[in-house]
Amino acid sequence: MTDDTDTPDGLAAEYVLGTLGADERAQAEALIGNDPAFARLVRRWERRLGELHAMMHSVEPPPDTWARIQARIDGAAPRAATLAQPDQAVVAAPEANVVALSARLHRWRRVTAGLGALAAVLAALVAIQAVYPTALPGPLRPKPIEIVKTIETPVNPGRFVAVLQQNAAAPAFILTVDVATRTASVRRVSAEQPAGKSYELWLVSDRFPAPRSLGLVGASEFARPALASYDPATVSGATYAVSLEPEGGSPTGAPTGPILFTGKLVESVPPSP
Amino acid sequence: MLSAQELVWLMAAVAKGDRAAFERLYAATRAKLYGVVLRILRRQDLADEVMQETYLKIWNSAGQFDPALASPITWMVAIARNRAIDLVRKKTEVSIEEESDVFDFAADTPDPLAKREMTEELQRLLACMARLDEERRRLVLFAYYHGWSREQLAAKFEKPVNTIKTWLRRALLDIRECLGA
Repeated sequence: MTDDTDTPDGLAAEYVLGTLGADERAQAEALIGNDPAFARLVRRWERRLGELHAMMHSVEPPPDTWARIQARIDGAAPRAATLAQPDQAVVAAPEANVVALSARLHRWRRVTAGLGALAAVLAALVAIQAVYPTALPGPLRPKPIEIVKTIETPVNPGRFVAVLQQNAAAPAFILTVDVATRTASVRRVSAEQPAGKSYELWLVSDRFPAPRSLGLVGASEFARPALASYDPATVSGATYAVSLEPEGGSPTGAPTGPILFTGKLVESVPPSP
Repeated sequence: MLSAQELVWLMAAVAKGDRAAFERLYAATRAKLYGVVLRILRRQDLADEVMQETYLKIWNSAGQFDPALASPITWMVAIARNRAIDLVRKKTEVSIEEESDVFDFAADTPDPLAKREMTEELQRLLACMARLDEERRRLVLFAYYHGWSREQLAAKFEKPVNTIKTWLRRALLDIRECLGA
Protein backbone atom coordinates (compact mmCIF):
# COMPACT_ATOMS: atom_id res chain seq x y z
CA MET A 1 0.00 0.00 0.00
CA THR A 2 1.25 3.45 -0.79
CA ASP A 3 0.05 6.55 0.91
CA ASP A 4 0.48 10.21 0.19
CA THR A 5 3.53 10.47 2.44
CA ASP A 6 5.55 8.08 0.22
CA THR A 7 7.10 10.89 -1.75
CA PRO A 8 10.63 12.12 -2.44
CA ASP A 9 9.89 14.99 -0.05
CA GLY A 10 8.99 12.49 2.69
CA LEU A 11 12.26 10.65 2.05
CA ALA A 12 14.23 13.91 2.16
CA ALA A 13 12.51 14.86 5.42
CA GLU A 14 13.31 11.53 7.07
CA TYR A 15 16.89 11.66 5.78
CA VAL A 16 17.38 15.02 7.46
CA LEU A 17 15.60 13.92 10.63
CA GLY A 18 17.84 10.84 10.67
CA THR A 19 15.30 8.01 10.94
CA LEU A 20 16.27 6.05 7.81
CA GLY A 21 18.06 2.71 8.04
CA ALA A 22 21.44 2.11 6.39
CA ASP A 23 19.93 1.02 3.03
CA GLU A 24 17.65 3.98 2.71
CA ARG A 25 20.36 6.40 3.82
CA ALA A 26 22.64 5.04 1.09
CA GLN A 27 19.81 5.52 -1.41
CA ALA A 28 19.11 9.04 -0.25
CA GLU A 29 22.81 9.92 -0.44
CA ALA A 30 23.02 8.50 -3.96
CA LEU A 31 20.03 10.66 -4.89
CA ILE A 32 21.59 13.79 -3.39
CA GLY A 33 24.53 13.29 -5.75
CA ASN A 34 22.42 12.41 -8.79
CA ASP A 35 19.20 14.33 -8.58
CA PRO A 36 19.44 18.10 -8.11
CA ALA A 37 15.70 18.33 -7.35
CA PHE A 38 16.09 15.84 -4.50
CA ALA A 39 19.19 17.66 -3.21
CA ARG A 40 17.10 20.84 -3.06
CA LEU A 41 14.40 19.06 -1.03
CA VAL A 42 17.09 17.95 1.45
CA ARG A 43 18.45 21.48 1.76
CA ARG A 44 14.96 22.81 2.46
CA TRP A 45 14.44 20.26 5.23
CA GLU A 46 17.84 21.09 6.68
CA ARG A 47 16.67 24.67 6.86
CA ARG A 48 13.31 23.76 8.41
CA LEU A 49 14.65 21.43 11.10
CA GLY A 50 18.22 22.66 11.45
CA GLU A 51 17.50 25.16 14.20
CA LEU A 52 16.55 22.39 16.62
CA HIS A 53 20.21 22.00 17.54
CA ALA A 54 19.99 25.25 19.46
CA MET A 55 18.17 23.44 22.26
CA MET A 56 20.88 20.86 22.75
CA HIS A 57 23.39 20.97 25.58
CA SER A 58 26.97 21.70 24.63
CA VAL A 59 29.68 19.33 25.81
CA GLU A 60 33.40 20.13 25.72
CA PRO A 61 35.31 17.58 23.63
CA PRO A 62 38.55 16.05 24.99
CA PRO A 63 41.45 18.53 24.77
CA ASP A 64 43.44 16.41 22.30
CA THR A 65 40.68 16.39 19.66
CA TRP A 66 42.00 19.57 18.07
CA ALA A 67 45.49 18.11 17.67
CA ARG A 68 43.99 15.06 15.97
CA ILE A 69 41.98 17.20 13.58
CA GLN A 70 45.11 19.14 12.67
CA ALA A 71 47.02 15.92 12.12
CA ARG A 72 44.24 14.66 9.84
CA ILE A 73 44.34 17.88 7.82
CA ASP A 74 48.12 17.79 7.52
CA GLY A 75 48.00 14.13 6.58
CA ALA A 76 45.32 14.61 3.95
CA ALA A 77 46.07 15.55 0.37
CA PRO A 78 46.42 19.29 -0.19
CA ARG A 79 43.20 20.97 -1.11
CA ALA A 80 42.49 21.87 -4.68
CA ALA A 81 43.45 25.49 -5.16
CA THR A 82 40.16 26.14 -6.89
CA LEU A 83 38.28 25.64 -3.64
CA ALA A 84 39.02 29.21 -2.66
CA GLN A 85 37.04 30.44 -5.65
CA PRO A 86 33.36 30.08 -4.87
CA ASP A 87 32.25 29.72 -8.48
CA GLN A 88 34.57 26.78 -8.98
CA ALA A 89 34.13 25.19 -5.60
CA VAL A 90 31.23 23.04 -6.68
CA VAL A 91 33.19 21.73 -9.63
CA ALA A 92 36.10 20.85 -7.38
CA ALA A 93 33.92 19.11 -4.84
CA PRO A 94 34.18 15.33 -4.75
CA GLU A 95 30.40 15.04 -4.97
CA ALA A 96 30.42 16.55 -8.41
CA ASN A 97 33.39 14.84 -9.95
CA VAL A 98 32.73 13.16 -13.21
CA VAL A 99 35.58 10.85 -13.95
CA ALA A 100 36.57 7.92 -16.05
CA LEU A 101 35.54 5.04 -13.89
CA SER A 102 37.76 2.10 -14.55
CA ALA A 103 41.18 3.58 -13.81
CA ARG A 104 39.99 5.78 -10.97
CA LEU A 105 38.10 3.05 -9.20
CA HIS A 106 41.25 1.00 -8.86
CA ARG A 107 43.13 3.99 -7.58
CA TRP A 108 40.42 4.75 -5.05
CA ARG A 109 40.44 1.18 -3.88
CA ARG A 110 44.14 1.50 -3.16
CA VAL A 111 43.57 4.79 -1.38
CA THR A 112 40.72 3.57 0.75
CA ALA A 113 42.53 0.34 1.55
CA GLY A 114 45.31 2.45 3.04
CA LEU A 115 43.01 4.27 5.45
CA GLY A 116 41.72 2.93 8.70
CA ALA A 117 38.54 0.93 8.45
CA LEU A 118 36.44 3.70 9.93
CA ALA A 119 37.97 6.36 7.73
CA ALA A 120 37.43 4.12 4.73
CA VAL A 121 33.76 3.92 5.51
CA LEU A 122 33.32 7.59 6.23
CA ALA A 123 35.24 8.76 3.21
CA ALA A 124 34.05 5.98 0.97
CA LEU A 125 33.54 6.60 -2.65
CA VAL A 126 30.50 5.16 -4.28
CA ALA A 127 31.01 5.02 -7.94
CA ILE A 128 27.75 5.17 -9.73
CA GLN A 129 27.26 4.82 -13.38
CA ALA A 130 24.22 4.57 -15.46
CA VAL A 131 24.47 2.15 -18.29
CA TYR A 132 26.54 -0.47 -20.01
CA PRO A 133 24.28 -0.77 -23.03
CA THR A 134 26.43 -3.41 -24.68
CA ALA A 135 25.85 -5.79 -21.79
CA LEU A 136 22.25 -6.13 -22.83
CA PRO A 137 21.01 -8.39 -25.58
CA GLY A 138 20.31 -6.44 -28.78
CA PRO A 139 16.53 -6.07 -28.46
CA LEU A 140 16.88 -4.82 -24.89
CA ARG A 141 19.45 -2.15 -25.57
CA PRO A 142 18.37 1.31 -24.45
CA LYS A 143 19.51 4.46 -26.13
CA PRO A 144 23.25 4.61 -25.55
CA ILE A 145 24.07 6.79 -22.57
CA GLU A 146 27.38 7.08 -20.79
CA ILE A 147 27.24 8.60 -17.35
CA VAL A 148 29.96 7.89 -14.86
CA LYS A 149 30.05 9.61 -11.53
CA THR A 150 31.74 9.17 -8.22
CA ILE A 151 29.93 10.31 -5.16
CA GLU A 152 31.45 10.67 -1.76
CA THR A 153 29.02 8.96 0.54
CA PRO A 154 29.50 6.94 3.69
CA VAL A 155 28.15 3.49 3.06
CA ASN A 156 28.79 0.16 4.63
CA PRO A 157 31.56 -1.99 3.25
CA GLY A 158 30.19 -4.48 0.78
CA ARG A 159 27.19 -2.32 -0.04
CA PHE A 160 26.51 -1.64 -3.70
CA VAL A 161 24.34 1.08 -5.15
CA ALA A 162 22.99 1.44 -8.68
CA VAL A 163 20.96 4.23 -10.17
CA LEU A 164 18.52 2.95 -12.79
CA GLN A 165 17.75 5.76 -15.13
CA GLN A 166 17.17 6.92 -18.66
CA ASN A 167 19.13 10.11 -18.41
CA ALA A 168 21.33 11.81 -15.87
CA ALA A 169 18.69 14.23 -14.69
CA ALA A 170 16.06 11.66 -13.84
CA PRO A 171 16.97 8.69 -11.68
CA ALA A 172 13.94 6.39 -11.81
CA PHE A 173 14.90 3.66 -9.35
CA ILE A 174 17.72 3.28 -6.85
CA LEU A 175 18.91 -0.25 -6.14
CA THR A 176 20.95 -1.03 -3.03
CA VAL A 177 22.51 -4.44 -2.46
CA ASP A 178 24.20 -5.67 0.67
CA VAL A 179 26.48 -8.38 -0.65
CA ALA A 180 27.18 -9.93 2.74
CA THR A 181 23.52 -10.74 3.38
CA ARG A 182 22.50 -10.76 -0.31
CA THR A 183 19.58 -8.54 0.53
CA ALA A 184 18.49 -5.83 -1.83
CA SER A 185 16.04 -3.03 -1.89
CA VAL A 186 14.68 -0.94 -4.72
CA ARG A 187 13.27 2.50 -4.22
CA ARG A 188 10.98 4.07 -6.79
CA VAL A 189 12.08 7.64 -7.21
CA SER A 190 10.69 9.50 -10.19
CA ALA A 191 9.12 6.68 -12.21
CA GLU A 192 5.38 7.23 -12.56
CA GLN A 193 3.20 4.23 -11.86
CA PRO A 194 1.50 3.58 -15.23
CA ALA A 195 -2.17 2.58 -15.15
CA GLY A 196 -2.76 -1.06 -16.00
CA LYS A 197 0.95 -1.83 -16.32
CA SER A 198 3.68 -3.10 -14.01
CA TYR A 199 7.42 -2.49 -13.77
CA GLU A 200 9.52 -5.65 -13.65
CA LEU A 201 13.16 -5.79 -12.58
CA TRP A 202 15.57 -8.03 -14.50
CA LEU A 203 19.05 -9.32 -13.85
CA VAL A 204 21.07 -9.45 -17.06
CA SER A 205 24.26 -11.48 -16.83
CA ASP A 206 26.52 -13.17 -19.36
CA ARG A 207 26.22 -16.26 -17.18
CA PHE A 208 22.64 -16.72 -18.26
CA PRO A 209 21.29 -16.92 -21.81
CA ALA A 210 18.30 -14.69 -20.96
CA PRO A 211 17.41 -12.02 -18.39
CA ARG A 212 16.18 -13.37 -15.05
CA SER A 213 13.18 -11.78 -13.41
CA LEU A 214 13.74 -10.35 -9.92
CA GLY A 215 10.09 -9.51 -9.46
CA LEU A 216 7.85 -6.50 -9.76
CA VAL A 217 8.98 -3.11 -8.53
CA GLY A 218 7.45 0.29 -8.22
CA ALA A 219 3.93 -0.58 -7.09
CA SER A 220 4.92 0.88 -3.74
CA GLU A 221 7.83 3.11 -2.80
CA PHE A 222 9.89 0.07 -1.83
CA ALA A 223 10.46 -3.42 -3.16
CA ARG A 224 12.77 -6.21 -2.05
CA PRO A 225 13.96 -8.04 -5.16
CA ALA A 226 14.79 -11.73 -4.84
CA LEU A 227 18.57 -11.90 -5.14
CA ALA A 228 19.37 -14.51 -2.50
CA SER A 229 19.65 -17.37 -4.98
CA TYR A 230 22.42 -15.70 -7.03
CA ASP A 231 26.09 -15.86 -6.10
CA PRO A 232 27.86 -12.61 -5.16
CA ALA A 233 29.94 -12.45 -8.35
CA THR A 234 26.81 -12.67 -10.50
CA VAL A 235 25.02 -10.09 -8.38
CA SER A 236 27.87 -7.60 -8.50
CA GLY A 237 28.65 -8.09 -12.19
CA ALA A 238 25.14 -8.01 -13.58
CA THR A 239 23.29 -5.21 -15.33
CA TYR A 240 19.88 -4.41 -13.90
CA ALA A 241 17.02 -3.39 -16.12
CA VAL A 242 13.41 -2.37 -15.58
CA SER A 243 10.86 -3.16 -18.28
CA LEU A 244 7.25 -2.13 -18.66
CA GLU A 245 5.03 -5.21 -18.56
CA PRO A 246 1.32 -6.06 -18.49
CA GLU A 247 -0.19 -5.72 -15.03
CA GLY A 248 1.15 -8.49 -12.78
CA GLY A 249 4.36 -8.97 -14.75
CA SER A 250 5.62 -10.57 -17.92
CA PRO A 251 3.42 -13.51 -18.94
CA THR A 252 6.34 -15.30 -20.63
CA GLY A 253 9.09 -15.06 -18.02
CA ALA A 254 11.13 -12.88 -20.37
CA PRO A 255 10.83 -9.13 -20.90
CA THR A 256 8.01 -8.39 -23.33
CA GLY A 257 7.74 -4.63 -23.02
CA PRO A 258 10.25 -1.81 -23.54
CA ILE A 259 13.31 -1.61 -21.28
CA LEU A 260 12.93 1.78 -19.68
CA PHE A 261 15.69 2.00 -17.13
CA THR A 262 19.03 0.28 -16.73
CA GLY A 263 21.98 0.50 -14.40
CA LYS A 264 24.93 -1.41 -13.03
CA LEU A 265 26.00 -1.95 -9.47
CA VAL A 266 29.35 -0.56 -8.55
CA GLU A 267 31.18 -1.53 -5.41
CA SER A 268 31.76 1.40 -3.14
CA VAL A 269 34.54 0.16 -0.90
CA PRO A 270 36.27 -3.17 -0.41
CA PRO A 271 34.12 -5.58 1.58
CA SER A 272 34.97 -6.15 5.22
CA PRO A 273 37.76 -8.69 5.72
CA MET B 1 29.72 31.93 21.13
CA LEU B 2 30.43 34.20 18.23
CA SER B 3 27.62 35.82 16.32
CA ALA B 4 26.30 34.22 13.15
CA GLN B 5 27.88 37.02 11.12
CA GLU B 6 31.30 36.44 12.72
CA LEU B 7 30.99 32.75 11.92
CA VAL B 8 30.20 33.60 8.27
CA TRP B 9 33.41 35.66 8.06
CA LEU B 10 35.41 32.86 9.65
CA MET B 11 33.92 30.38 7.20
CA ALA B 12 34.94 32.57 4.26
CA ALA B 13 38.50 32.71 5.63
CA VAL B 14 38.54 28.95 6.17
CA ALA B 15 37.46 28.49 2.54
CA LYS B 16 40.64 30.33 1.55
CA GLY B 17 42.76 27.97 3.66
CA ASP B 18 43.24 30.23 6.73
CA ARG B 19 44.30 27.87 9.53
CA ALA B 20 44.04 30.53 12.26
CA ALA B 21 40.44 31.21 11.25
CA PHE B 22 39.79 27.47 11.30
CA GLU B 23 41.10 27.25 14.86
CA ARG B 24 38.80 30.08 15.93
CA LEU B 25 35.89 28.39 14.18
CA TYR B 26 36.71 25.17 16.00
CA ALA B 27 36.93 26.94 19.37
CA ALA B 28 33.56 28.60 18.79
CA THR B 29 31.69 25.48 17.66
CA ARG B 30 33.39 22.40 19.15
CA ALA B 31 31.23 22.08 22.27
CA LYS B 32 28.00 22.38 20.29
CA LEU B 33 29.07 19.77 17.75
CA TYR B 34 30.48 17.43 20.37
CA GLY B 35 27.22 17.62 22.33
CA VAL B 36 25.29 16.73 19.17
CA VAL B 37 27.41 13.72 18.18
CA LEU B 38 27.97 12.40 21.71
CA ARG B 39 24.24 12.25 22.30
CA ILE B 40 23.77 10.20 19.14
CA LEU B 41 26.83 7.95 19.52
CA ARG B 42 26.98 7.63 23.32
CA ARG B 43 30.63 6.66 23.18
CA GLN B 44 33.52 9.08 23.53
CA ASP B 45 35.82 7.19 21.16
CA LEU B 46 33.20 7.21 18.39
CA ALA B 47 32.26 10.82 19.06
CA ASP B 48 35.92 11.80 18.86
CA GLU B 49 36.30 10.01 15.51
CA VAL B 50 33.20 11.75 14.12
CA MET B 51 34.51 15.13 15.35
CA GLN B 52 37.70 14.58 13.33
CA GLU B 53 35.75 13.54 10.22
CA THR B 54 33.36 16.46 10.62
CA TYR B 55 36.01 19.18 10.94
CA LEU B 56 38.05 17.63 8.13
CA LYS B 57 34.96 17.86 5.94
CA ILE B 58 34.31 21.45 7.10
CA TRP B 59 37.91 22.37 6.25
CA ASN B 60 37.62 20.80 2.80
CA SER B 61 34.11 22.03 1.98
CA ALA B 62 33.97 25.51 3.51
CA GLY B 63 33.95 26.90 -0.05
CA GLN B 64 30.59 25.23 -0.61
CA PHE B 65 28.97 26.89 2.37
CA ASP B 66 26.31 29.35 1.22
CA PRO B 67 25.20 31.86 3.87
CA ALA B 68 22.01 32.46 1.88
CA LEU B 69 20.92 28.86 2.55
CA ALA B 70 21.88 28.22 6.17
CA SER B 71 23.66 29.69 9.15
CA PRO B 72 27.21 28.36 9.63
CA ILE B 73 26.36 26.49 12.81
CA THR B 74 23.29 24.84 11.24
CA TRP B 75 25.39 23.77 8.26
CA MET B 76 28.10 22.37 10.55
CA VAL B 77 25.61 20.55 12.79
CA ALA B 78 24.03 18.95 9.70
CA ILE B 79 27.45 17.58 8.66
CA ALA B 80 28.15 16.28 12.17
CA ARG B 81 24.71 14.67 12.56
CA ASN B 82 24.95 12.95 9.17
CA ARG B 83 28.37 11.50 10.02
CA ALA B 84 27.19 10.36 13.45
CA ILE B 85 24.00 8.77 12.14
CA ASP B 86 25.82 7.00 9.31
CA LEU B 87 28.21 5.53 11.87
CA VAL B 88 25.51 4.51 14.31
CA ARG B 89 23.46 2.83 11.53
CA LYS B 90 26.53 0.81 10.59
CA LYS B 91 26.88 -0.38 14.17
CA THR B 92 23.63 -2.27 14.28
CA GLU B 93 24.67 -3.96 17.50
CA VAL B 94 24.32 -0.67 19.36
CA SER B 95 20.92 -0.92 20.98
CA ILE B 96 18.86 1.65 22.77
CA GLU B 97 19.35 -0.37 25.95
CA GLU B 98 22.85 1.06 26.13
CA GLU B 99 21.38 4.44 26.81
CA SER B 100 23.59 6.26 29.25
CA ASP B 101 22.19 7.87 32.37
CA VAL B 102 24.14 11.00 31.56
CA PHE B 103 21.62 11.71 28.82
CA ASP B 104 18.51 10.76 30.69
CA PHE B 105 17.09 14.25 30.88
CA ALA B 106 13.97 14.75 28.82
CA ALA B 107 14.65 15.29 25.17
CA ASP B 108 12.28 18.21 24.91
CA THR B 109 13.76 20.24 27.75
CA PRO B 110 15.41 23.25 26.16
CA ASP B 111 18.89 24.14 27.23
CA PRO B 112 18.28 27.16 29.49
CA LEU B 113 21.40 28.88 28.15
CA ALA B 114 20.43 28.32 24.55
CA LYS B 115 16.94 29.64 25.17
CA ARG B 116 18.26 33.18 25.38
CA GLU B 117 19.63 32.93 21.88
CA MET B 118 16.55 31.43 20.31
CA THR B 119 16.30 32.58 16.73
CA GLU B 120 13.08 33.62 15.10
CA GLU B 121 13.24 30.49 12.90
CA LEU B 122 13.49 28.26 15.96
CA GLN B 123 10.57 30.01 17.65
CA ARG B 124 8.42 29.43 14.57
CA LEU B 125 9.49 25.79 14.37
CA LEU B 126 8.71 25.20 18.03
CA ALA B 127 5.32 26.87 17.64
CA CYS B 128 4.55 24.48 14.79
CA MET B 129 5.77 21.48 16.78
CA ALA B 130 3.56 22.53 19.67
CA ARG B 131 0.57 21.96 17.37
CA LEU B 132 1.46 18.28 16.89
CA ASP B 133 0.02 15.54 19.12
CA GLU B 134 2.10 15.05 22.24
CA GLU B 135 3.19 11.56 21.14
CA ARG B 136 4.17 12.60 17.60
CA ARG B 137 6.08 15.59 18.89
CA ARG B 138 8.03 13.31 21.20
CA LEU B 139 8.68 10.99 18.27
CA VAL B 140 10.20 13.76 16.15
CA LEU B 141 12.27 15.10 19.04
CA PHE B 142 13.60 11.66 19.99
CA ALA B 143 14.52 11.07 16.36
CA TYR B 144 16.30 14.40 16.04
CA TYR B 145 18.16 14.46 19.33
CA HIS B 146 19.09 10.78 19.64
CA GLY B 147 19.45 9.95 15.95
CA TRP B 148 17.16 6.96 16.36
CA SER B 149 15.99 4.90 13.41
CA ARG B 150 12.34 3.96 12.82
CA GLU B 151 13.14 0.52 14.27
CA GLN B 152 14.53 2.01 17.48
CA LEU B 153 11.59 4.40 17.74
CA ALA B 154 9.19 1.47 17.20
CA ALA B 155 10.78 -0.39 20.13
CA LYS B 156 10.73 2.69 22.34
CA PHE B 157 7.16 3.70 21.51
CA GLU B 158 5.90 0.09 21.29
CA LYS B 159 4.34 0.55 17.86
CA PRO B 160 4.85 -1.24 14.52
CA VAL B 161 7.62 0.20 12.33
CA ASN B 162 5.14 1.08 9.57
CA THR B 163 3.04 3.05 12.04
CA ILE B 164 6.14 4.93 13.15
CA LYS B 165 6.99 5.73 9.53
CA THR B 166 3.49 7.03 8.83
CA TRP B 167 3.46 9.11 12.03
CA LEU B 168 6.88 10.57 11.30
CA ARG B 169 5.98 11.55 7.76
CA ARG B 170 2.59 12.98 8.78
CA ALA B 171 4.25 14.99 11.55
CA LEU B 172 6.90 16.29 9.14
CA LEU B 173 4.25 17.20 6.56
CA ASP B 174 2.30 19.05 9.26
CA ILE B 175 5.45 20.94 10.23
CA ARG B 176 6.12 21.82 6.59
CA GLU B 177 2.58 23.13 6.10
CA CYS B 178 2.65 25.05 9.36
CA LEU B 179 5.95 26.71 8.47
CA GLY B 180 4.55 27.50 5.02
CA ALA B 181 7.97 27.21 3.40
